[in-house]
Amino acid sequence: MPLDLTTPLGATMALLPEIALTLGALVLLLVNAWRNGTARDSRLSGYLALVSLVPSAIALGILWMGGARAEGPAYMVALDPYRFAALALILVATAGTILLSLGYLEREGLIAPEYYSLVLFAASGMMFMAGAEDLIVLFLGLEIMSVSVYVLAGFNRGSVFSAEAALKYFLVGAFASAFLLYGIALLWGATGSTGLADIGARLSGGEVPVLGKLGLGLLLIGMGFKVAAVPFHMWAPDVYDGSPTPVTGFMATGVKAAGFLGLARILYEAFPAATEVWQPVVAALAVASMVLGNFVALSQRSLKRMLAYSSIAHAGYLLTALWPGSRLGSGATLLYLAAYTLTSLAVFGILSVLGRGGERDVTLDSIAGLARRRPWLAFALSVCMLSLLGFPGTFGFVGKWAILAAVVEAKQVVLAVVVVLTSLVSAGYYLPVVMAVYMREPAGSESHSGAGLPRPAVITVALAVAIVLLAGILPASALASAMDTAGSLGPAGSAPIVGFRR
Amino acid sequence: MTQFLASIGFDRWILHVLLVLPLVGVIPVLLGPVAMARRTALFVTVVEFVLSAGLWWAVNTTPGTLQLTSSMAWIPAWGISYAVGIDGISLTMVLLTTLLMPLCVLGSWNYITERERGYYVMLLTLLTGVLGVFLATDLFLFYVFWEVMLIPMYFIIGMWGGKNRLYAAIKFFVFTMAGSLLMLVAILALAWAVAGRTGTLSFAYEHLLTNSHVVGGLAPWLFGAFALAFAIKVPVFPFHTWLPDAHVEAPTAGSVLLAGVLLKLGTYGFLRYAVPFFPEVAASPWVTNLVLLLAVIGIVYGALVAMVQPDIKKLVAYSSVSHLGFVMLGIWAATVQSIEGAIMVMIGHGLSTGALFFLVGMLYERRHTRDISAYGGLAKVVPVFSLVFTVVALSSVGLPGLNGFIGEFLVLLGSFRVHPWATGIATTGVIFAAAYLLWALQRIIYNKLDKRENESLTDLSARELVVMGPLLLGILWMGLYPAPILRRIEPAAVRYIETLRGPLGFQGVSQQTPVVPR
Repeated sequence: MPLDLTTPLGATMALLPEIALTLGALVLLLVNAWRNGTARDSRLSGYLALVSLVPSAIALGILWMGGARAEGPAYMVALDPYRFAALALILVATAGTILLSLGYLEREGLIAPEYYSLVLFAASGMMFMAGAEDLIVLFLGLEIMSVSVYVLAGFNRGSVFSAEAALKYFLVGAFASAFLLYGIALLWGATGSTGLADIGARLSGGEVPVLGKLGLGLLLIGMGFKVAAVPFHMWAPDVYDGSPTPVTGFMATGVKAAGFLGLARILYEAFPAATEVWQPVVAALAVASMVLGNFVALSQRSLKRMLAYSSIAHAGYLLTALWPGSRLGSGATLLYLAAYTLTSLAVFGILSVLGRGGERDVTLDSIAGLARRRPWLAFALSVCMLSLLGFPGTFGFVGKWAILAAVVEAKQVVLAVVVVLTSLVSAGYYLPVVMAVYMREPAGSESHSGAGLPRPAVITVALAVAIVLLAGILPASALASAMDTAGSLGPAGSAPIVGFRR
Repeated sequence: MTQFLASIGFDRWILHVLLVLPLVGVIPVLLGPVAMARRTALFVTVVEFVLSAGLWWAVNTTPGTLQLTSSMAWIPAWGISYAVGIDGISLTMVLLTTLLMPLCVLGSWNYITERERGYYVMLLTLLTGVLGVFLATDLFLFYVFWEVMLIPMYFIIGMWGGKNRLYAAIKFFVFTMAGSLLMLVAILALAWAVAGRTGTLSFAYEHLLTNSHVVGGLAPWLFGAFALAFAIKVPVFPFHTWLPDAHVEAPTAGSVLLAGVLLKLGTYGFLRYAVPFFPEVAASPWVTNLVLLLAVIGIVYGALVAMVQPDIKKLVAYSSVSHLGFVMLGIWAATVQSIEGAIMVMIGHGLSTGALFFLVGMLYERRHTRDISAYGGLAKVVPVFSLVFTVVALSSVGLPGLNGFIGEFLVLLGSFRVHPWATGIATTGVIFAAAYLLWALQRIIYNKLDKRENESLTDLSARELVVMGPLLLGILWMGLYPAPILRRIEPAAVRYIETLRGPLGFQGVSQQTPVVPR
């Protein structure tokens, strides 16, 4: 289904998922004008938010299944399977976040239904960001997403840590936006365009001008802040730690996915000719993130903080996936994001029931012996830990395998070795969680008695864990579709990979 | 027998059934009542053994190549398939595994009283994992089994182990993973290098084996990564430090499986992957000398450290380091006798050390101590136990007529022509083995019965006799009439040597006369 993006109808069709979601968020906001006082209202808003994801998903399905593509060059917004896969991932993360929030907000007494509109607005921002074909659209999407998430981070108004998280996130985020915007301006100066394809075309012949390099560097810094790559990660532990747990999960899944998918598009479409400029930078960021994230996570006592550092490490793995600039690389990025998103949703869902008051004090000691009382919860948590570790039989392994394959294909074995060695370090903090729940005795007879998932959260966690296991054991279709999808990104006519000829 | 097996299509389904059956068995163990868990597990493992016994006749080992091969696309776009096959070497390893497993279930019968279902689920999963490693003929599949096998062992040590089990479990896990992750990168690099040259991305064993020479300058690194993974598993000195911890902390069945089967995965990996893939590197003087040095250090050091252990289980654990050194020596000498000897040591060590761990476990269940000094004069109180213990200890020492002798003798015989110095020093390991085991035997079984607590010990129960019976039979059979086993492993050993000699020639070793007349 070719769509002419220059006509209003074509553009509307192309943006249907985003439009549907934004409309849903607005309607929800309207409903909340009347219904905003009780726990029932909060629950109602949650279910409404869930329902308003459906039209967006249907629109996405129509575009994807219909094979929508731009008639002529796509501008402003991309129209290719890579965007559709990105939107699907964001919708899944959003749906999971809403389901996890339903019970959590009530339990923590956070009765303010606008929470769900904010989640939806953030999701629409993510969608714009991941599908942006123009740096201005990317920036707008990023801002819509960020402003909503700033508020969500500080949603627990009674907690100083939540307030700290919001303020910190806001200040650092504003800083990052400034970098990004300045980078866009310089790139415009260097190439006379903000469209990714245009920039790519103008940079393709010969040397990249200094202004362009500078712009690309600032762009990378801005995105580095958003995805919490070292050395732009300082905000992440405090913000992850202080935010309400479902919001932390949203940051680890949705925000990170949008950031990486946007970054992938920038690097692959605007700068395929400048790989020698950005590859060393991306490699340095990746190595720094993997090393620092994994080593610092080792020394964390609080589980939530440990997961914050582990998410920095995962940003490093994802940057490694981007590094080769190949089809296998963009496919690996997508696949790893899918694996990480599902696993993180389950982990934060489980974490949200293990504690009270923001789960800042959930430690290894407090989850000791969980398997005795809550065998399924313990099983799910262990599967997630193994998936994050990248252990065979889980989705996480498939993702890591794809990343390793991508860098090995690009003959960069050193980066692959860094990935596996830092993964080994990560065994030092993922395994103790498995040990604590299975091999240690509960502290007292009362422990874990309150730990039960509300039903919507059970569905999320169970589904996520089931997919993590299934995709780990039978990864063929996930791998194949990720690689097919990745084929739509990047400069046309990039060489096919050995073995992928079909 | 062969005709009967062919008539039921045995060779078509057996390998898949062996891999799937334990996993199917997990379901009734999990869903059934707790009291039935051990019975179900016993039933499944016995069936598994009976089925696998058919392989003895069904596998035609004469060509020395992989038999009963079958393959099914798993991740076709990446050239990954579920592919299995078996040759003489893996045949013996599979049979050793399936023999030890029901005995382990029986040996855990009364010892495991907590979370029984989980325990037997882990044993069954481990069985699939180990068999998968021996049977896989696709490197991706091999890697998956190699890693997945870690989880059940990690839980067996960590949940049902001794006092220091958490430390031992994580050490075991991290050590093994350190090696295997680098191996993962090596597998990928190898596959991609081969794909770049041949145009086909495939992880099939034979495909990579025939084309592994294209990696060129990368070969030493890839060999290093493979070798490290296997050396940690064997364990080759100085990567052995996880072993005493894991063996001592694991419950009896865990130790039996660790020593009996899991260590062999390392030497099997050398025989199947590391050396045949990169024969030039493996045969280069630098690598050869390093491996010989480490093997000999392992033999002597393991034996010496075993001698001074006050704890019986630790003694047996260190004796493994020593025995596996012989295997490494035999693999690197690469003569027909030395390879056959290495495989015989692998089998023989599995039986003897497995039996020793069972016996130590039986003592521990009675007295709750493993201190050698707490025993003495047991021969008067528990004559049957003492007899069995003596026979097993002598087999481990290498007394002619028992299994230990055949393997070590062949290794020394085959290696002496190639590496006389290393072999000469290794021979002292046999003497030290006699020293530490006979000394331990003397202090436990003989000497004076001077501890009151030992006077009321009960002799082996019927169940324990059933555990020891098959092991003793195996020990005697291997010692008295090893020809059928040797006949089955010899073609594979010859083929292994041919892959090595092809490119380089192995230090001028000429035609070997086979030890078993064909």
